[in-house]
Amino acid sequence: MVRSNEDEPATWAAALDNDGDAFAAIFDLHRDRVYHHALRMTANVHDAEDVTAATFLELWRRRKSVRMVEGSVLPWLIVTATNLARNLARGRRRYRALIAALPRSEDSRSAEDVALGRIEEMRVAAQVREALSALAPPDAALISLTVFENYSPAQAAVALGITDGAARTRLHRARTRMATNIEALATADRDDTTKEKSR
Amino acid sequence: MSTTELDPVFAAALREILVATVEDTPRVRRRWRWRLGPGIFAGLTLVAGGVALAAGLFSPPGAPLDTPLGAAVTATRTGSATIDLGPRPAGATDVSLTLTCLTPGTFDFPNGSSVTCNSADLSNPTVPPQASEVVPLSPGIDTVTIDTSANASWTLRALYVNRVTTPWGINASGQTYGVANENGTPDLIAVVIDQGKTQGYVEASELNCASGGDPKSIAQALAWSAQNRNISIPVYESDGTTIIGTFVIGGATGPNAKTVPLSSLLRGCWTK
Repeated sequence: MVRSNEDEPATWAAALDNDGDAFAAIFDLHRDRVYHHALRMTANVHDAEDVTAATFLELWRRRKSVRMVEGSVLPWLIVTATNLARNLARGRRRYRALIAALPRSEDSRSAEDVALGRIEEMRVAAQVREALSALAPPDAALISLTVFENYSPAQAAVALGITDGAARTRLHRARTRMATNIEALATADRDDTTKEKSR
Repeated sequence: MSTTELDPVFAAALREILVATVEDTPRVRRRWRWRLGPGIFAGLTLVAGGVALAAGLFSPPGAPLDTPLGAAVTATRTGSATIDLGPRPAGATDVSLTLTCLTPGTFDFPNGSSVTCNSADLSNPTVPPQASEVVPLSPGIDTVTIDTSANASWTLRALYVNRVTTPWGINASGQTYGVANENGTPDLIAVVIDQGKTQGYVEASELNCASGGDPKSIAQALAWSAQNRNISIPVYESDGTTIIGTFVIGGATGPNAKTVPLSSLLRGCWTK
């Protein structure tokens, strides 16, 4: 899995020196991972696009305080996308006019279109999303980094600006809560299905 | 087309915006707030409301109100350093930071803003070489890091605060007035003009138009910003009708730069 290209630290340094093409290269490198994460956190494609745009605009606005993890800004992007997705209206307000002016493909895609062919997959994705949304934002970011993006707790701790110990403690608690939430959601879904069948 | 790929049309436009944003960001860092021109000063007021508050000039409705908690921590360091703020008092939401330059240098706050001092700033007898920021607390973090060059010295005073957002005012016409905050934008937005001597309000809609409105395309947005002109809009009392001055938007400078009133533009706003 390509997590970062070797040139990322140098490219990021050039971007910080107002090199637009270098910043675009960072965007090219990470946009899909950020978008996939945003899809996981939001209910539809449009919101995920908005979160992706806001995340990269935030990367520039907050460039002085970005925490690199092993030379990559991706973990910071995942944490930021988590926060923006959790607080969609507020997070996007800063960029609302800008993002609204961005053109989109005409065949407007929605999560429902996809769901028709992938009901079970979408059901699991919805459970994950609901379980994530029940966690505090830093915990949701921790789970995202360690479970979905395969970072170690120590690396996730750097991205979040907390100690390794604190990350492990929070992670243990968040995993337990997440598992409980998913079990509850799965049970609720099964109950719904049983009721449907018994009708 | 699959939902697992970012819409290529959207991605291409976003990429173009990112390149333009990065290349248009001035490299010159902001200096002392008291040195900023009236437009920029007011611009900062528009965004946060905290600048004028820090200067003790103007506390418009909707601005954050900070209540100090506990005792201040003061530390003096040379080069980049992390200061331990001590245990966080109950109710603390933010930390108020005041940085004093002891030597020339550029000092970066955790929230991305920075302050630059030169030797003239340090010898100025009337204004201390200080800058203040209020930074939200992150979970589990009770430290503040200031980044600077290895030989630059500074003193930081840090104080935990409880920050609450005050409500906007409502005038006789039912318009809200104050500063933009997490609740959105009021109908009348607080500004400061005349080097900070006059406080008033501009219509949010007029400000939006004069700032370029809501462009329908990137080409429109770029064409708007390429015009070397400033646009002025009226500044009102909080009643929204009494005009007390004008507010100028735009960074146009040089012999060909001109300032025109928004009312003189046939297409002041893309939406009109």
